Amino acid sequence: MGFSYKMRLILVCLGIFVVAWVGFLFKSLLLPDSFGLYGHYRADAIIEAVEVPVRHGTNRSCFKCHPFEAKIHKEGLHRTISCEFCHGPYADHVTSDKKIGTLPVRTGKQITTLCLRCHNSQIMARSEAVIKTVAMPDHLRNQQVKLTHDCNQCHHVHAPLNYINRAKQITGLMEKGE
Amino acid sequence: MKRRDPLPDMQKRSFLKKVLNGTIAGALYLVYPMNASGFEWPEQIPGVREAYDIHAQKFAFIVDITRCIGCGSCCVADKQEYNVPDGNYRTWVERYVKGFSDQIYVDCPDGGLSGYQTPRSDIQEEIRDTFFVPKLCNMCKEAPCVQVCPVGATFTTPDGFVLVDEKRCVGCAYCIQACPYSVRFIHPKTRVVEKCTWCYHRIRKGLLPACVDVCPTGARKFGSLRDETSEVYKILKGPGVLTVLRKEMGTWPALYYKGARMEVI
Repeated sequence: MGFSYKMRLILVCLGIFVVAWVGFLFKSLLLPDSFGLYGHYRADAIIEAVEVPVRHGTNRSCFKCHPFEAKIHKEGLHRTISCEFCHGPYADHVTSDKKIGTLPVRTGKQITTLCLRCHNSQIMARSEAVIKTVAMPDHLRNQQVKLTHDCNQCHHVHAPLNYINRAKQITGLMEKGE
Repeated sequence: MKRRDPLPDMQKRSFLKKVLNGTIAGALYLVYPMNASGFEWPEQIPGVREAYDIHAQKFAFIVDITRCIGCGSCCVADKQEYNVPDGNYRTWVERYVKGFSDQIYVDCPDGGLSGYQTPRSDIQEEIRDTFFVPKLCNMCKEAPCVQVCPVGATFTTPDGFVLVDEKRCVGCAYCIQACPYSVRFIHPKTRVVEKCTWCYHRIRKGLLPACVDVCPTGARKFGSLRDETSEVYKILKGPGVLTVLRKEMGTWPALYYKGARMEVI
């Protein structure tokens, strides 16, 4: 080795500097922008998470264009139920296209199945303070109707007691305002 | 003599009017964009829309087990919001059945998506108690999934949410093993990890998470702890008993359960 002690020291320092510099260069090349702004992750990922499109509207989004249904729904006992639970998401219905998507409408036995998701008392986990439950087909038998009846033949699906109360008023079984 | 219609002009006129109206209405219907731009979202979480300071926020989620009826609205809403693939669940509802011998039976057919239509028939002993437990991401303060991620794809945001960076995730599934609550899964198409985000995109727009919005009984509650009028703030400040899942693991969840029996894990 022909270098003097001083020269070797300089070379070693220079070498460390170059290696460190190359290291930092690679790090900056490999790390994405905004990495480490808040922590050991890409801060832009938060912005991406915010920009996820909203597919599920609120009941108010439905009521804006359907005032008739809104009136019934808001007055009935089912007012806390989301429209989109039975009818499908807002985003499938109102799209940026120039066409309105059709949403499914439940009919016949589908409605009974849907009602019993919540109103089946046989599950034994539904408190009377929260929800009124019935056992099928005992309820049909008690009400003296055919066992083939669907729920919506007596109950309006949006306001379940509307028809019942109206019928009671007409027949005099219930005073008005009760 | 040629028979004439009474008032032929009127008929013709009304017919033309109808056709013209129909044409204009139809044309407008095709041209006018029916998008959400005309609709203003209601502000369900006050004080989030204007000046969102990411370092000064704190949120909490409370599940009231005594009010859950196991209808599965939340599961349906969640699947609709994110188009969650079949067989994977960001949130689900479990049914706990407790017998008189203190034996616990848990089932969760289809993640609660199709609801609970029938009682369990395979239990021989007398049933003491039945209840539903909705499950979702616990948003831990000391999240095990964040600690194990080798590429920094899972992280805790300054406002306390545990999110996944889809672009950085390599799908190693280490976090799936680390999560004590099993809320993570690998998306079969994108092959990256996905999990419940408490609908972070909705919260930042001032909307409640989809599952909270649809819950018909108010079993799921969400709100800001910086807002002293919010329901969760009042519950957390009040004397009611709240528990977290797997407290002994030291994950410090931001998801609290009200009325949870000690058997719930």
